[in-house]
Amino acid sequence: MNGAPQLWLLLLATLLPAAMLFGCALAGFRQRILSLLWIAPIPALAAALVGGTQTLVWDCPLGRITLTLDRPGAILLGVAALLWIGSGVYAPRYLRSEPHGVRFAVCWLLTLIGNIGVFITADLASFYLAFALVSVPAYGLLVHDATAKTQRAGAIYMALTLLGETFLLIGFILMAAATPSGSLAIRDCLAALPASPWRNPTLALLIAGFGLKAGLVPLHVWMPLTYTAAPAPAASVLSGAVVKAGVIGLIRFVPLDLGLPEWGGVLASAGLLSAFYGVVVGITQANPKTVLAYSSVSQMGLIAAVVGMGLANNDRGTPLAVAFYAAHHILAKGALFLGIGVVAATGSARLWGVLFPAAVLALGLGGLPLTGGALAKVAVKQPLGSGAVSLLTTLSAAGSTLLMLHFLGCLKKAATPDDKETAPAGLVLPWLAMALAAVVVPWVLYLATGVGTLYAALSPGALWEALWPALIGTLLAIALRRWAEFLPDVPEGDIVVAGEGAARATVSWGAVLERADTLLQRWPVACFSLLMVAIILVALMLSGR
Amino acid sequence: MRGQRSPCHRGVSEPRASLVFWVLLMAVWAALNLVFLGDDLFNLYVALELLTFAAVPLVCLDGRAETLAAALRYLLFALFGSVLYLLGTALLYGGYGTLDIVLLSDRVRPELIAFIAVGLMTTGLLAKTALFPLHLWLPPAHAGAPPAASAMLSGLVVKGSFFLVVRLWFDVMPWLLNQAASQILSTLGGGAILMGSVLALRQARLKLLIAYSTIAQIGYLFLMFPLADGSTSAQFGSSVALTGGFLQAISHAFAKAAMFMSAGLIAEALGHDRIAELRGVSQLLPVTVFAFGVAALSLVGLPPSGGFVAKWLLLTAVITAGQWWWALVMLVGGLLAGGYMFRVLAGAMEDAVEPLIPRMSVPRSRELVALALALCSMLLGLLPLRAFDLLRIGRQHASEALTKPPHSSGAASNATLVPLDFAGSR
Repeated sequence: MNGAPQLWLLLLATLLPAAMLFGCALAGFRQRILSLLWIAPIPALAAALVGGTQTLVWDCPLGRITLTLDRPGAILLGVAALLWIGSGVYAPRYLRSEPHGVRFAVCWLLTLIGNIGVFITADLASFYLAFALVSVPAYGLLVHDATAKTQRAGAIYMALTLLGETFLLIGFILMAAATPSGSLAIRDCLAALPASPWRNPTLALLIAGFGLKAGLVPLHVWMPLTYTAAPAPAASVLSGAVVKAGVIGLIRFVPLDLGLPEWGGVLASAGLLSAFYGVVVGITQANPKTVLAYSSVSQMGLIAAVVGMGLANNDRGTPLAVAFYAAHHILAKGALFLGIGVVAATGSARLWGVLFPAAVLALGLGGLPLTGGALAKVAVKQPLGSGAVSLLTTLSAAGSTLLMLHFLGCLKKAATPDDKETAPAGLVLPWLAMALAAVVVPWVLYLATGVGTLYAALSPGALWEALWPALIGTLLAIALRRWAEFLPDVPEGDIVVAGEGAARATVSWGAVLERADTLLQRWPVACFSLLMVAIILVALMLSGR
Repeated sequence: MRGQRSPCHRGVSEPRASLVFWVLLMAVWAALNLVFLGDDLFNLYVALELLTFAAVPLVCLDGRAETLAAALRYLLFALFGSVLYLLGTALLYGGYGTLDIVLLSDRVRPELIAFIAVGLMTTGLLAKTALFPLHLWLPPAHAGAPPAASAMLSGLVVKGSFFLVVRLWFDVMPWLLNQAASQILSTLGGGAILMGSVLALRQARLKLLIAYSTIAQIGYLFLMFPLADGSTSAQFGSSVALTGGFLQAISHAFAKAAMFMSAGLIAEALGHDRIAELRGVSQLLPVTVFAFGVAALSLVGLPPSGGFVAKWLLLTAVITAGQWWWALVMLVGGLLAGGYMFRVLAGAMEDAVEPLIPRMSVPRSRELVALALALCSMLLGLLPLRAFDLLRIGRQHASEALTKPPHSSGAASNATLVPLDFAGSR
């Protein structure tokens, strides 16, 4: 291991939250942990800022751990760390009067470690560990208040999370088994993938696993339930930073250099379906958190579509473009969720000061010119190409604008009934800082990483191209206001209701097995089985001779 | 509720039960050592009997009628198993004139007498291991015993007879592994995984849930038999499977012990172990619930636990051997395990409607014992595989299946998860 300071920063990025976690064993530290949460992601931010492509190979007893910070990883790591810091400042004030502060902090730190981990790990084993960490402990963040609704959201979240883990586990094992060198480095496994006898099942499992994390339809059902149930700071990091574990997974594990048109087509179609599905179901919702969650379904769908097109067209610039798009989404979505908490504490008389920044962020997600969202759309133009998919994504931007205008309408109604109430500074300041970052950071990144030129962003043609979907979206929003009563009443998590029905039907199978077990536990039956096992064993041995 | 009280708890009002517990504990330990070190099928029979007779009274230490019934059930079925084992041993001795494993493995031929002998012996051992569908004695016995005894019974005692099945199939008659008969073992294992997991999901009492989970976890151990099939990429697959199987046995031992002890502490504090009424217990006994949770992660197979590494190795073996249906069973079993563990933990994490008042305070030291065991099973995944060379102690001829690669392959051979690690020479 060489001693470059960047590499130590990379290690420190995971070790500091881990150290804080162990610190929770001390009562004195435990009482203050909630107010110290914002410190934990700082080394990660520093590591991302120091930047550069760097690899840390460390042969420890567990195996060869490889930590790499490449450019897409660094962008996502840095921006995610920024959101974790902002939400970490916001969380103690928001949760001040609630119980379970320590549990929240412990789950927060575990999720943070996993979140940092997925961006920097470069081998299957530690990536899987990081992915499990970013998924499973998040349960403790979202069932913070123990109402029946959050319990249900938590149960569905856990069930789907474990399903996703299962997809990935078997996908990773297929990858590892097909790698003749026995290496677990993601790069080596990807290089061996084309020759793998299980190439198609591997890809299907990986796309299902990461797609579930990113909320691709029809595996998106946990997203609206979870974000609606979670407290604002948790919803902010879950929707902003944590969900990007799925995005980095797609970037890292989809073999973009292979150019697989059929798989690219599958991913792009699933992505576009999600992009429109999120909008269509989102406008039927009234809870601003749920609307934002459906917007996440839509935005992650768009990202999947970009990755799919990059895979189909063998486009090497895809990871960077996707990372940039995702980086904007981290800050914008994170800040919007924090904003919901601010609005809930603000009286309607003072609402406009809060709604204006929220409107800028929200419309930025729809690609309003000059916002980070517009830059993000410019960045993914290259991988999307100029065909029908490109047109469809532009239309989905119109849909996003519609959805976001609907969100602002819902947000206005969420204000506290007390007219003169103002939100405490402990909520407003971190929220404003995040909102500002969501506007400024994309511009800085855009110029620093070179995902696009200034001309491509500011030429009149580009501005018009960003403006017309927004105008269509606005027209649609006016139409929606007019005819809103004709929309059906869709429950949060839409098709999950059908899934729950199916789950209950399977539970009745359990009763059948229970009766069978009672039977097997009777003495005559057990002795008979003993005899039968012996006879069958001997018979099979004889037949196999 | 005397029965919920662990006999190793200081100040217990029953000096007799406490004395008996310690004596039996030593007896179980001695018998297990004999099982692991013995190299002669008749000595192993003696060891097995010693194990059974030390284990059965552990079930009914408190002397309640229902635990006595459970112990008798256990005793009777285990004796059936012993008879079958002894019968097989006699046949082998009559056929080949020796019971020494090394000598016998040279002399034994694939013929009727050997088949009948190994069939009877295996069935007897399966009955003592409580492999589905021969598990009738396990739930009442393991759920009724005092927690510390349940930990031993579930974690170690059932592994004793399992280990003898391994010795019989891998060391005495390795050619059996190539045959259809090995598929029946894994079919029973697969049945155990599904049946045990589904029934664990439906239990109302915590200790019964854990006992059914043991039935499911025993099933995983038997999946390794057909994977040692010599016809497809033989040595690679077989060694991965065997290592995975043993790792599963060890990590389950730690996790299950932690789990039974946590459940015992919970039952002691609450006065019951009804899963539906566990609300608020995480505030009452945070360390205990944490230990239970860590052990649960290992059973579900989440990294970096020993259960995860075991599952990774077994799945790798399954894939390489081309028997993907076992992968399906294992994955469904993992999801079901997630389900029944979630049921317990989600309930324990809920807020109590009214503050829980413990029936008796639980000493922190006992909570820490459960936690230490849970952490062992978690950290097992971080242990280099070379540590498992311990498994070879007592085997006079390093049998093929247990051969480890030479330690010359450099840094990479340290890796727990690098499959190449197992591609060692025969």
